[in-house]
Amino acid sequence: MAEEKSKVIDNRPGWIASINPWVLRVVNNPERVAFVLHRVTGILMALIIMAHIFVTGTPAHTGWEAWVEEINKAQGFSLVTLYFFFFAGIAWFHGLNGIRLLLVEFFGVCIGKPEKPKPPYIAPSLKACQRKLLYLVFLLWPILWAITGYIVFFK
Amino acid sequence: MTFDPQAATRTPPKKVIFRIKRYDPEKDKTWWEEYEVETYRGMTVLDALLKIKEEIDHTIVMRYSCRMGVCGSCGMVINGMPRLACQTQISEVASEAKPVIELEPLKNYPVIKDLLTDFTKFFNKHRSVKPYLIRKNKEEVEKGDAEFLMTPEEHKELYEYTLCIACGLCYSACPVAASDERFLGPQALAYVWRYVSDPRDEAWKERLEAVDVEEGPWSCHYAASCSAVCPKMVDPGAAIQRLRSVLIKYKLGLFKKKTAKKAVIPKEQVKPKKPLPPESKLVEGVDIEALDKAPVEIPVEELIS
Repeated sequence: MAEEKSKVIDNRPGWIASINPWVLRVVNNPERVAFVLHRVTGILMALIIMAHIFVTGTPAHTGWEAWVEEINKAQGFSLVTLYFFFFAGIAWFHGLNGIRLLLVEFFGVCIGKPEKPKPPYIAPSLKACQRKLLYLVFLLWPILWAITGYIVFFK
Repeated sequence: MTFDPQAATRTPPKKVIFRIKRYDPEKDKTWWEEYEVETYRGMTVLDALLKIKEEIDHTIVMRYSCRMGVCGSCGMVINGMPRLACQTQISEVASEAKPVIELEPLKNYPVIKDLLTDFTKFFNKHRSVKPYLIRKNKEEVEKGDAEFLMTPEEHKELYEYTLCIACGLCYSACPVAASDERFLGPQALAYVWRYVSDPRDEAWKERLEAVDVEEGPWSCHYAASCSAVCPKMVDPGAAIQRLRSVLIKYKLGLFKKKTAKKAVIPKEQVKPKKPLPPESKLVEGVDIEALDKAPVEIPVEELIS
């Protein structure tokens, strides 16, 4: 007799959970937004670095002096300055959040101390200083990005 | 999971629409079905589900047992967040402005039928980390007459991890487990930390070496959703970070756990037995100590006849 295969459906969202923080609507969890942003900026940085190697390798064929002159000419809103501005944005977030993650993941600090449950039953790590650092990242990121934008476009 | 102390006293909307994601394995079909339920103050989502099952549709399938947040059976995604249905008040998740509650089976688990998910792989991962005390001297454990002592401070360090009821909500919320089925998951890794940090456990080296794999704590990227959804405030996210930092120290030769204390016989067992006071011998000629040793024989047949 042929064995009946039990039918079950796989309910895993897959890689989409890494780029969409709202696959689940978990409350009191800005770390998940940071996790998604960190992944997305990491992938973008990897792509940009590959493009960067390609672009900086080009003058080997066309001549360094002409290339440096071309880059120096880039002022105001050009393709090169927009690229720098975009790259600065993702690098600032990835770097700032990376420092927070380094403290949390490798040194095991800023995650509070274990405690006995008491109302309102919020896990210690969600109210520890890593959360404050996360808010600091979200605050500093746009400020530093704007300053970089000012330098890139207007200086 | 944040606890709203006022939720139980709030009156929920009189009628709430439950949108339930259903799955029929025989037809291999998934669909959303709506049910309207009359509510009352203090009604939980599980109460409403049982009301639907009893009065509207007997075919709905879900898992539940204790109805009071102890067994961890009734986990499901309620309005987009993994929660225990028995611990979730309707007034917490539905309002007069939006009297709709969406119920889905837990993410990251295979769905057997409707809201019922298969926990086999989850429990296999739980078993794989040996979630029990391991002592070098097996006799101490097998004999069972000795106690393994620890100080209140040591107990405080691991107490919150002992509260885990293996409801699987953390695993359901984990974005890493969503894409990597091999990942041990927050629950199993929190258990590893619970025993590594336990001063009574003597297998910390074996435990650390067993989880020093790709699917161990290295795969965690601290989205902290596990800690945010935990109904028992276990904080598996922090446990994994502690485990990883200890693992790094161990690999660098900088971590060494204190030697576990020897098991001791409880004091009450070694106390010499005090002689009985004279007033306890109520009946003359009856030896109470002898009666203690020999069981009382009741003449059953004699009594029946």
